[in-house]
Amino acid sequence: MSQPDDAAAGFGTDGPETWHHVHPVSPFVRGWVAVLAVLFIFGRNGMEDLFRGLANGGDYAPNTAPVWVILSIVGAAVVVFGISFYLSWRFTRYQVTDEYVHINSGVVFRQQRKARIERVQAIDVVQPLLARVFGLAELKFDVADGGKSAMKLAFLKLDEARRLRSAILARAAGLPADPQGPAVVVEAPEQVVLALTPGRVVGSVLLSGITVMALVLSAGVALLVVRTGSVAVLAAFIPMVLGVVAAYWQRFTTDFNFRVAVSPDGVRLHYGMLETRSQTIPPGRVQAVGLSQGPVWRMLGWYKIHVNVAGYGADAREGGTRTVVLPVGTQAEAMVVLGLLFPDPGVDNPHEVFAAGLNGTGDAQGFIHSPPAARWIDPLAWRRTAYRATATALLCRHGILYRRLQVVPHERTQSLSLYQGPIMRALGLVDFELHSTAGPVRPVVHHMDLAAAHQLFDEQAARAAVARRIHRSERWMEAAPAPLVELVETASSAPAASAAPVAELVETKVPGSETKDAGSAP
Amino acid sequence: MRSQLAPQGVEFTRVSENLITARRIARGITFVVLVAAAAMPLLLRSLGAWSGYPAWLAWLLPAATLAAVVWAFALIPRQVRAIGYAERNDDLLIRQGIYFERLMVVPYGRMQYVDVTVGPLERALGLSSLKLHTASPSTNAALPGLPATEAARLREQLTARGEAKLAGL
Repeated sequence: MSQPDDAAAGFGTDGPETWHHVHPVSPFVRGWVAVLAVLFIFGRNGMEDLFRGLANGGDYAPNTAPVWVILSIVGAAVVVFGISFYLSWRFTRYQVTDEYVHINSGVVFRQQRKARIERVQAIDVVQPLLARVFGLAELKFDVADGGKSAMKLAFLKLDEARRLRSAILARAAGLPADPQGPAVVVEAPEQVVLALTPGRVVGSVLLSGITVMALVLSAGVALLVVRTGSVAVLAAFIPMVLGVVAAYWQRFTTDFNFRVAVSPDGVRLHYGMLETRSQTIPPGRVQAVGLSQGPVWRMLGWYKIHVNVAGYGADAREGGTRTVVLPVGTQAEAMVVLGLLFPDPGVDNPHEVFAAGLNGTGDAQGFIHSPPAARWIDPLAWRRTAYRATATALLCRHGILYRRLQVVPHERTQSLSLYQGPIMRALGLVDFELHSTAGPVRPVVHHMDLAAAHQLFDEQAARAAVARRIHRSERWMEAAPAPLVELVETASSAPAASAAPVAELVETKVPGSETKDAGSAP
Repeated sequence: MRSQLAPQGVEFTRVSENLITARRIARGITFVVLVAAAAMPLLLRSLGAWSGYPAWLAWLLPAATLAAVVWAFALIPRQVRAIGYAERNDDLLIRQGIYFERLMVVPYGRMQYVDVTVGPLERALGLSSLKLHTASPSTNAALPGLPATEAARLREQLTARGEAKLAGL
């Protein structure tokens, strides 16, 4: 620890000896499903036995368990859950110092995790429904380990979670501690730039792929009914109907009340109806952006925006919602969000260029599309398949029916490759791939002219090298405090830029004999 | 067939010719198993256990498999000679493939770690495989069949350059 407690207190960070516990109700909020399941199974059996006994004339049948057995089993379950919950709570401790977040957990298998604060890729404050009832929230601290959600604090009081988030972000930003300052964390002011109306969310859900699937299914069912002449087959499709309704409901409750806000700590997304979530993506953590528009949405001019963030990874566990920064938006709204993610587009007329990327064909606005030879393998979209390199990013345009635009900042390119199969070789075409971190956006330029691809390959390698060299610090405020929009340009390369590899995550596991976290185990 | 992807003026270092032997042994076993599996219906038919099986298919299946396998076997030397790498100032170039060709550039500063692995067959032939990992799962930068000393040298060289040019994410 570099600083003693009192100096750190200005930002509410802890000294080496200060440890905190999560909220005592947490294990119950996490384990309530298990508790309910046990109570339900034993309770139902007991009730059934009881009623069967009553039906048999008031006496228990000889093969049913007497009341005291049932009660003692339930009592034992309560005691076991109570003890495991207590131990799990007792052994989970956390500490946020100036440089590290530590979390110690586990009863028998102890786990000590320590992550460097400036390595933070994203912070989420999540409130599942039951946690909201108790006024609790879960804090997730993501580092670049491919979306395994390294540090989780479940659960804290909502205020405490937000205070910790501000403290972590302030530290990660490299704000100097104020020795005279009071021990109050000033939460970075947040400004809502865009909010989706419930009508828009309903519209987007109804006009999504779920409806297409539902229509295909209904057509199939109708055909079956007509062919067999029996209405009884309909009953077999009730689970499917339920599935479709559940999918609609899931999408609607997730995207409900979606708001995009901006603060000096980065872009903040709020969304959710039952489980609410607020995600913070600090500046410079976005690895790639993908905008997409299906054929139905085109009639309404709607777009969806995904991002690659190293901390989110492939995002399969969360249902793919964390990587969505705009579930549905008009072109103007999409531009606003794009502007937040990339304050510096690297061209003088970003609106025209991005519009050409979203909707244009041919070589308007400096886009370079596939050569005519590509018609043989890409007859419809070859004039849409295009790229444009700006001073700061590479734009890849795809698709005629399902339109996509991918934006990759030069300094975020991990590696590059050229690929050519036998047909492409005969036509003199090459695929140009950019490798980004794991996520929904996999940037690639298809079917480029051979000479152009070679040129882009060399230029892009050089541009990425230059961009990396002038790449700003991970601590986005280490330079003099700058107005939000100028953040990208002002922050120069600070010592932190030359830090250690991706996830400097220290994880110590002490072998014992039991599962790693008794709280989530039951 | 001249490569269209290889950039002008870059000298690629080839991997060891011993990799041809290694691949011939490893793939040869797989190929024998494949041909044997494809010849099973023919065997059963000639033993009278599966007389309903059409004769033309019984002969065609193993013949086609054999042809494909012989061709794949004959390609091994060219495939191995197509694997090459070049160390440049800022990045490592890797090329591979003859019909499905790929040219990859990995900046030193982007490397997260370098793997060197040796299997029993490779060890017997004095070979090592080297793999570079970046923060991207799409980076598939593998160099099989390096001489063991060259793999060790390259690993040290790459990590040293990686440290010198280190860039975060």
